[in-house]
Amino acid sequence: MIENLKNYKELLKSNIKKEIRGKYKGSFLGVLWSFINPLLTALVYAIIFPFILKTSQDHYVTFLIIGILPWNFFVTTINQGTTTVLQNGSIIKKVYFPREILPISIIGSNLVNFIISCLIIFLFLIFSGIGFSTYVLFLPLIILVQTIFQMGIVFITSAINVYVRDAEYIINFILNMVFYATPILYSSSLFPEKIAWLLNLNPMTTIINCYRDILYYQSMPHLKSLLVVLAASLILLWIGIKIFKKLEKGFAEEV
Amino acid sequence: MSSKVNKTKKETQETYAIEVNHVTKYFKVYYDKPQTLKERLTFHNKNKIEKRMILDDVNLKIRKGETVALIGVNGSGKSTLLKLMTKIIYPSSGKIITHGKLTSLLELGAGFHPDFTGRENIYFNASIFGLSRIEIENRIDKIIEFSELGDIIDNPVRTYSSGQYMRLAFSVAINVDAEILLIDEILAVGDQHFQEKCFNKLMELKNSDKTIVIVSHSLNVVKDLCDRAIWIYEGHVKKDGNTKEVIDEYLKTCS
Repeated sequence: MIENLKNYKELLKSNIKKEIRGKYKGSFLGVLWSFINPLLTALVYAIIFPFILKTSQDHYVTFLIIGILPWNFFVTTINQGTTTVLQNGSIIKKVYFPREILPISIIGSNLVNFIISCLIIFLFLIFSGIGFSTYVLFLPLIILVQTIFQMGIVFITSAINVYVRDAEYIINFILNMVFYATPILYSSSLFPEKIAWLLNLNPMTTIINCYRDILYYQSMPHLKSLLVVLAASLILLWIGIKIFKKLEKGFAEEV
Repeated sequence: MSSKVNKTKKETQETYAIEVNHVTKYFKVYYDKPQTLKERLTFHNKNKIEKRMILDDVNLKIRKGETVALIGVNGSGKSTLLKLMTKIIYPSSGKIITHGKLTSLLELGAGFHPDFTGRENIYFNASIFGLSRIEIENRIDKIIEFSELGDIIDNPVRTYSSGQYMRLAFSVAINVDAEILLIDEILAVGDQHFQEKCFNKLMELKNSDKTIVIVSHSLNVVKDLCDRAIWIYEGHVKKDGNTKEVIDEYLKTCS
């Protein structure tokens, strides 16, 4: 598979570019929207939550941003990834190219977006006075783990959505629920011990907590949990590729 | 997988470009295709699925450098066979092995983006065919020259006439330099002048030892271009051999 992808490197590159550029084509602010959107979401939460929940978190806006931007990376990747094969149905029917290019392009374009979003996080860290510590060096590792995790999911959902088109809506619903089961708006320490384990089953909890550890709390990330998530993600990716490879043979007939 | 085959079957690799071994292809014909989970779970249209046999145990060997025409009435399975060779769809049983870089012109302009310029689309389309950036850059002048689009190459493709669109698409596909070229009824591209040019280009490719498989109803063109014709009738190979003989026999049944 990797050998085959190498031959189509150029297609992968131009497809990623098309994904980044094409999404907001025609809108006045263009690509900027992919950064403005999560910021506006954060703004809404930042206004509402301190009122309702009486959140006592210091620098709550920065705290939120560090949670929302990675979550946004997760959600847009999964949502776009799930529909990508169907949306490119017309090309799939007409030309051969490695079908993996499609989900990988979605991951790639969103990864580029997220890396740029990290600059926004840095700006918030600077202006809130939190600053940086050397733990920020763990950032690439956490991004890598998150990317592998998402890749595994997208390989599965993009292939299944071709056969069962409900997948898109079911996944959307699940993501909405998981949003509240992930410590984005709140800190995971708010959860009572008894159900904390449930929260920890969610890989996104570990990932978001790691981002918070290194950026917000400026401490060592919980490496053991992160490595567990990495291992699980690699297994998920392996399963995902298997499923995708198995189902891709029928893509041209089903889309 | 094909690299393994290459090693074990060195001899066939040198003589044959395409090997079709006992290939059978069914299409599932849904009278009412189940696309949602509810429809799948309730099996309400279970009885409405019909398996239609398109190809029935087809065996073919096409040597390197041969120019072969597939002829037959509509619905006989010619295009399906071509799609199987490009790996857009996969056989229900049997095996197809191809040796060498393969390009298919099943439908011109697959993946053209109407808002991008002709030049940008050349890059994108050529990368779908598996070319690297350098390879595209080396060819781009040749492609633009062949298309005779001149200055309008930098206009968005949506402003092109359908003839110009086809000319651009054909020019990209023909200049990919694949060893095997699969063409599905697209010889009638553009005006008289351009058609002649395409024909000459195909002759040139034929003489440069490329393997070409054409599905066509333009029997006169086929007669001039191909040294072998295969008549497909209801999923079987009805006659295979010298172009003139096969066409004569085919025409007898048509009248």
